[in-house]
Amino acid sequence: MLETEELKKVFKGKTAVEGASLYIDKGESVGLLGPNGAGKSTTISMISTLLKPTSGDVRLNGKSVIKNPSDMRRVLGVVPQEIALYAELSAYENLKFFGRIYGLTGKALETAIQHSLELVGLVERQKEIVKTYSGGMKRRVNIAAAMMHEPEVIIMDEPTVGIDPQSRSHILEMVRKLNKEKGLTVLYTSHYMEEVERLCDRVYIMDHGKIIASGTKDELKSILSSEETVWIELDRPYPAFFKELQSIESIKQAIETEKGIKLILPKGSRVLGKVFQASERHHVQIINVNVQTPSLEDVFLHLTGRKLRD
Amino acid sequence: MFAFMKKDMLILIRDRTELAVLLAMPFILIAILGFALSGLLSGNSEVLSMDVAIVQEDDEQQGLDRFAEELGSAGIPAEAQAGIMAAAEESSPSSILQGILTDDSLSGLVTAQEMDTASATKALEEEEVVAILTIPENFTFKALQKMMLDAGDGAELQLMISDHAATQSEVFHDILDEFVWSLNFESAIARAANGEGDLPVAEQTQFGGVESVSAVQPISSFQYYTIGMAVMFALFVGATISGMAYVEKQQFVFNRILLSDHHPLVYLGSKAISAAIITFLQFCILFFLSSLIFGAFDLTEGAFWPGMLLIAFSLSICVGAVAAFLTALTMRFDNDTITTVFSGGVVTIFAFLGGSFTPTEGLPVFIQKLGSWTPNGAALNAFLLWVQNLELGLLWEPLGRLLLITILLLALGLLLFPRKGEA
Ligand SMILES: Nc1ncnc2c1ncn2[C@@H]1O[C@H](COP(=O)(O)OP(=O)(O)OP(=O)(O)O)[C@@H](O)[C@H]1O
Ligand SMILES: [Mg+2]
Repeated sequence: MLETEELKKVFKGKTAVEGASLYIDKGESVGLLGPNGAGKSTTISMISTLLKPTSGDVRLNGKSVIKNPSDMRRVLGVVPQEIALYAELSAYENLKFFGRIYGLTGKALETAIQHSLELVGLVERQKEIVKTYSGGMKRRVNIAAAMMHEPEVIIMDEPTVGIDPQSRSHILEMVRKLNKEKGLTVLYTSHYMEEVERLCDRVYIMDHGKIIASGTKDELKSILSSEETVWIELDRPYPAFFKELQSIESIKQAIETEKGIKLILPKGSRVLGKVFQASERHHVQIINVNVQTPSLEDVFLHLTGRKLRD
Repeated sequence: MFAFMKKDMLILIRDRTELAVLLAMPFILIAILGFALSGLLSGNSEVLSMDVAIVQEDDEQQGLDRFAEELGSAGIPAEAQAGIMAAAEESSPSSILQGILTDDSLSGLVTAQEMDTASATKALEEEEVVAILTIPENFTFKALQKMMLDAGDGAELQLMISDHAATQSEVFHDILDEFVWSLNFESAIARAANGEGDLPVAEQTQFGGVESVSAVQPISSFQYYTIGMAVMFALFVGATISGMAYVEKQQFVFNRILLSDHHPLVYLGSKAISAAIITFLQFCILFFLSSLIFGAFDLTEGAFWPGMLLIAFSLSICVGAVAAFLTALTMRFDNDTITTVFSGGVVTIFAFLGGSFTPTEGLPVFIQKLGSWTPNGAALNAFLLWVQNLELGLLWEPLGRLLLITILLLALGLLLFPRKGEA
């Protein structure tokens, strides 16, 4: 539905984005990850027609939007990284204005306002002046403003910075629902890896203006490691059980630890059944089993040599 | 478009500082300037009331007698003598001075009391009076001698002013200056007429209060400054609006507006119209309040207001163009210095050039010309012409200037405004 081709932006001799190519299918939820200054916001500005690329193209359903941005603007909602609201107006007045400039009037406008406010959980405090809101509340209005005209594609640039975990969860759930139930197409930028893990089907990782990796979450994780680690916690050592595990072929390595046994397995091997059969034969009391796969955070660290949030 | 303007109004109403600049400041200035320069005429005496002592050492009758003798010995024909004598009696400086000091227009403002030298000095020391006016011995004779015959050294009034009430004594000094000036002026005219015929009676309206712009209808200082301040502070609306545009850009709401797929020029247009509407409302509020509280204009005069509204309308459109021009510059350079410079300096310079503080009549011609080509100057011209003549025909020239300025600014605004909405 939406694709970019070799997007490039140079600001006064400084390259912010270099050859970014990405695509988003209809109804997909795609994450864009990258450390500060990676060029995420710049890429988003170019996609959303606010910034002209130095070179490259942005296409919506195969049609370039650079010369003719109207098609894109009609279907697009943008939650900018900055709070883009009138500080002197109330949440209600802000949404009313943003709804009206999209041509909403009368009952439709009123419904859209209340619907957007419900989405972000601010119905009760809608008449208060935005200036007096907490940072998190401003963020939520910032999101609501992008929802007023019921966009088909929504681009969110770090929308949850400064929001408390509960409201964040609420917002994520809202976006996920819109994506899964209403088929809303989402491009999501965040520093919170767990948000992207929860929300997005596919992920692009950017650094220094370039897309350095992309794929589904699993594909990305497999970059880092082809192995899984399984921790088995036991009530006491069982030497015979341990011996038997060592003899199972698909287990690369079995190590005795303080609390039990650590197994290293090739990714995707279906060996846990055999482990449980053995435990029954040896009357082993298993307290806990923990399968550990690498997180996107680990992938990120591996790729960029940096933590996502310093 | 309507949504844009409604939002601008709403934001303005919430902003106390801007409202103070646009409404309270001009109103306060009207009050200050109006009172300071009008108290003399309109009887608003509380602000500037003063007690003065008059020490009368001159004997008017004796002076007149002595002047008659002088005429006799100067060898002037008897017939002429009688005429001059009649004129002298009528325009005896002493009487005129008394007349002025007890005139209705000064009543309540100046309270004159005759005293002897000693008690006058004491009153001055005890701050009961702000000035002592001494009419010295032989004042009548010497003054008449100088006025009618252009002989002798002339007469002099002695004024002793206290420093505890500088403004009042200053004003009193001015009153006397006016008196002396008008006496001299009259005698000059009288002499030019060979000392024959009636001398013009002293024009008491000369004394203060009237900013006599031209002879048609005198304009009171409240009228003058209501107009002067209204046209000056209208310019600030332009700065206010472009300042708002800058905030919209800074706070990224402008991006949201672009994303809603409105042509950037629609945005620019909305700024111009907002500014025009606000200017018009500002005019209505200022003139209404000034008329209500200071009685500057008669609110019930039906024939008067349509012309005023026409001029205010033209000025409002022009301020809309000013706003568009400033907004274009602000958005192009992503910088609000231009707005700051405009409201911090350009407006004041324009106000002086355009005559918002003092009538430009006394200034060099090229400055008057320059001033008449400022939006406020052109509007002020139009307002004054209307107030004095109530003749629509006279307005086309200043309104034409206003229109040209409007077109020029709009063209520049359109040229400079970034079409793509990006720097
Ligand atoms: N208008 C601009 N003029 C000059 N340089 C810019 C401009 N906007 C962005 N940059 C530069 O481009 C680079 C990428 O910035 P961008 O805002 O896209 O990063 P980001 O990935 O969104 O970072 P963050 O996670 O901090 O939001 C940065 O080095 C930034 O300094
Ligand atoms: Mg960013």
